[in-house]
Amino acid sequence: MKNTAEHVIVRMYNVGFGDSFLLFIPTPEGTRKILFDCGVHFQSKKPRPIQEVAQQIVDDARDEDGVSRIDVIVVTHRHQDHVKGFESSAWNEVEVKEVWMPWTENPKDKMGREILEKQSGNAKTLHSTVQRLLAAAAASDEDQQKLRRMEGLAMNSLTNEKAMTMVHEGFAGKPRRVFLPFEKREENTFTRDFLPGVKIHAMGPSRDPEVIRDMDPPAEETYRHLAFALGGEAVESHMPFRSLWTLDEVGYLAAGGAEPLSEKDKEKLHTMSDEDSWGLAVALEKAVNGTSLLLMLQIGDAYLLFPGDAQWGTWNSAMMDKEWRRLLSKTTFYKIGHHGSHNATPKSFVSKLLPENFWAMACTGPTANWTDTIPLPNLMSDLRSHSPKVVRSDKDDDPAAEQHFTREQHGYFVDAKIPIYSDSDA
Amino acid sequence: MTKSSYIDLPPTRRPLKIFAFDPMLGRAANQRITIEIANEPDLQIGPRGSRVEVIDYDGANKCYYTPVDLNAPGVLMRGGLDPNESVPCFHQQMVYAVAMKVIENFERALGRRISFRYNQKLRIFPHAFQGANAFYDPDSLALFFGYFQADKLNPGPNLPGQTVFTCLSHDIIAHEMTHALVDRLRKYFIEPSNRDVSAFHEGFSDIVAIFQHFSFPDILRGLIQETRSDLRSPTPLIELAREFGYATGQGRALRSAVDTSKTNGSGGGAGAHGKPDPRLYESVFEPHERGSILVSAVFEAFFNTYQKRIKDLIRIATGGTGQLPAGDLHPDLVNRIAAEASSTAQSILTMCIRAFEYLPPVDITFGDYLRALVTADFELSPADENGERAAMIEAFRERGIYPDNVTSLAEESLIWESAEGEGFPDFEKELIDQLVVGAQLLGRSSSRDPFMAPPSESEASQFTNQSYDSTDPAHDEYGIDLQKSVKEELARYARDNAVKLGLCPGRKITVRGFHPAFRVGADGQLLIEMVAQFTQRDDPKANQDFGGVPVRGGTTVIASAEGKVRYVISKPLYSKELSDEKKKHAQERIERQLSFVDECDRADPHIAWYGSTEEKEYRNRIARTMNFAAVHRGIRR
Repeated sequence: MKNTAEHVIVRMYNVGFGDSFLLFIPTPEGTRKILFDCGVHFQSKKPRPIQEVAQQIVDDARDEDGVSRIDVIVVTHRHQDHVKGFESSAWNEVEVKEVWMPWTENPKDKMGREILEKQSGNAKTLHSTVQRLLAAAAASDEDQQKLRRMEGLAMNSLTNEKAMTMVHEGFAGKPRRVFLPFEKREENTFTRDFLPGVKIHAMGPSRDPEVIRDMDPPAEETYRHLAFALGGEAVESHMPFRSLWTLDEVGYLAAGGAEPLSEKDKEKLHTMSDEDSWGLAVALEKAVNGTSLLLMLQIGDAYLLFPGDAQWGTWNSAMMDKEWRRLLSKTTFYKIGHHGSHNATPKSFVSKLLPENFWAMACTGPTANWTDTIPLPNLMSDLRSHSPKVVRSDKDDDPAAEQHFTREQHGYFVDAKIPIYSDSDA
Repeated sequence: MTKSSYIDLPPTRRPLKIFAFDPMLGRAANQRITIEIANEPDLQIGPRGSRVEVIDYDGANKCYYTPVDLNAPGVLMRGGLDPNESVPCFHQQMVYAVAMKVIENFERALGRRISFRYNQKLRIFPHAFQGANAFYDPDSLALFFGYFQADKLNPGPNLPGQTVFTCLSHDIIAHEMTHALVDRLRKYFIEPSNRDVSAFHEGFSDIVAIFQHFSFPDILRGLIQETRSDLRSPTPLIELAREFGYATGQGRALRSAVDTSKTNGSGGGAGAHGKPDPRLYESVFEPHERGSILVSAVFEAFFNTYQKRIKDLIRIATGGTGQLPAGDLHPDLVNRIAAEASSTAQSILTMCIRAFEYLPPVDITFGDYLRALVTADFELSPADENGERAAMIEAFRERGIYPDNVTSLAEESLIWESAEGEGFPDFEKELIDQLVVGAQLLGRSSSRDPFMAPPSESEASQFTNQSYDSTDPAHDEYGIDLQKSVKEELARYARDNAVKLGLCPGRKITVRGFHPAFRVGADGQLLIEMVAQFTQRDDPKANQDFGGVPVRGGTTVIASAEGKVRYVISKPLYSKELSDEKKKHAQERIERQLSFVDECDRADPHIAWYGSTEEKEYRNRIARTMNFAAVHRGIRR
């Protein structure tokens, strides 16, 4: 018997700029719970400390016997804004059955390990370079802001060791660690005995070279050169020739040189050695996002899509897969990718696959250095042109959307009630 | 001729020494070679010649370095300064020599003198900044070379921390110089309107750099002996910028003309000495890697032609077996093989450059380039005696490069459609006379190139601050009278025949260039052609986001010396007056450009971090990639 009154509750916590979603899934054997991520960016404005959010999740997951149970904890990728909350000791009491992570987290996977090492090594180089420059404090205000932004990106990609130790080794109930997707394509639609009625589709990140390319940051040397160019090791720029060859302008003219360079030309040459530090910072950020899990939960007629911060490679590889494409076209709930940024929700997914009238949630908030950047207003309005049920975690920016959700009185979280069976089946 | 005038006559050639590849390879004495370039009688200290001038200002240390006087007796007696990394004067000599060599190759192939816009000189800064990068900057009409310290942890055969000069790499100089010349010939190829445009710029620059290696006889002989005539073996001959590659910690040369089989499975056009992979053309996106597909296609055409041409030599040398015995090759055989390799390389390079006259003025694809190659070569030597053309077609086919709208890869369908019988009126006799007069003027170095439309003020400054002016800069500015009358006449011709030329009659038509080209065909006949280029610009619709890159259309017209229109190569903008076929083509181009913007966005890590889509930086995000500094920064990836 299908019970049309049954709903999955998707609870989106207002962490600030970060992600945290707790799902309550009704089953014949009681409510089952799945948590997707718990983190916040260190530069984000925080409605309250992330430890408090973590504690609330632990409490929200408490069963009638007073024990906190979360059947599956999904860590989409290791960015700080997705894992910071796992530093809290509150998680020690939570009974967990399985922890799901992308395959790059598997310590036994050689390629995964290489990718992680490269990413975190580069983050470390970039971070220490930026720190040194900030400490030097000679930078102009504009440079300071640029440096702060870079610091933000570098920090986000550091190993986040404390949180990741909890993810890999912590929690009560001796959870099994599962690395997704599995190597065999046919194993990537699976079920779990403790999740009756739930089908899981692990759509990405695949091991396709294009996907791996997305995870691969620029070479280590590039970051080392940056450290060097930005004054990491050298105190002064080095002279390539002995001083007997150098001339000032008067000497140059006397030696038969051309007319002196204009001030404009000189200015151009003086600033030329600037490395594209910002480019390297965003490239690293993108690489770590590239490891994001792309999961779909199928519960009755509800298809809940959680793409983490997946990048184009992962999306594309999923959309090229016939079966995944079919499933994507049934999406009823969409966790908006990468806090609503421009490149984490492919246009072709919205225009060609996503059916009208979906539910969508963006977990996001302003950060010190980016105001009104993420989520992009036009992505939100684009999604809203397809469905009225699009909400964000940090504020009520659309009263018409708000009526489809329940916002907690302090604004601590927003609930979406997703019907498990569509009306037509009733 | 009197005795004194015989002695006083300036020599036509000037020998100068360079590193054949770069200082890393140049440690072996035989890699320091002498090349000959045209002697510029008025060469100044710098060196500053009529087309390029070397200015040795170091932006990082804010100082000048002593400029070289190539006419100083001590320098002349030695045939140029000896290669020496620690003397900046040698660096100046080398960039000048290699840059002039590239110009010479272009002029030889095109059959005309090339000068830069406004007859300005291209400035070359051999030590412009500190950094592992070098680039051509169209805004300041200059080449900037960086220098840097070799990677401390992974320097390859360099010393850790040793200073590496990009201006001492033959390949880097030739590559950047080619960018400048391509930009001169086709200004709009800097605007990325589809996947192939930037890749063409990069790939073509690599082709010129690699094929110039084959003009160094001693090097060539040594490597033919070493590889036993298999020129596909990985040697410096077919690799680019070895020192740079190692010094930046990549553990290999920067790029190669054949298989690169990098671990990430991209780049290059072929598997290890094996089959080219047609999927690469579908999937590879980064301009240098995509350009490498073009390079490998051209190289394979070269290699196959070369092998065919030396087959008889090997048979003669082996008593008919064709199987080379073990041990060293006979030096005479090596000499003969080297001569064949060198002449085949020169003829392929000439073919590649010559194709330029047959390219559309905007929105190039590799397929267009193949058609231009085939047409240009067909016009010159219809019989394809050496099989170069067939080899070229085959090499492109194997890499999955197909032109749009051709029915087959037979030579007849690849040649651009003939315009004869389309009812084009001939070009005015007067126009052609003006061209001939102009060509004579052009032979003298002091006169400006009357055939290229000079840029307007706004155009000259459009790349400043890396922003791109959204108004069309290509307003007429006629300059001298000769040019004005030529341009007006041509503009009238284009307006009168707009629809047939694939131009949109309602829009402004800009004359982009008008050249004569003089060439000697395989049969010894002088072939004279007139090449005119027209361009137009579209106004994008409000909902179309091209990232700041303009949508352009344009047509190249090739006419015979009598003024008869032979070929019309067009990239039309949409206009209801055009034929259905052209309308479809116009529509497809718009869609292709839009999907290219999408592709760029997906790959661009910046995209998540713009303030808003209203921000100027965002609206011009694709246009802002239109500088070679940014593109080349990727070379370390």
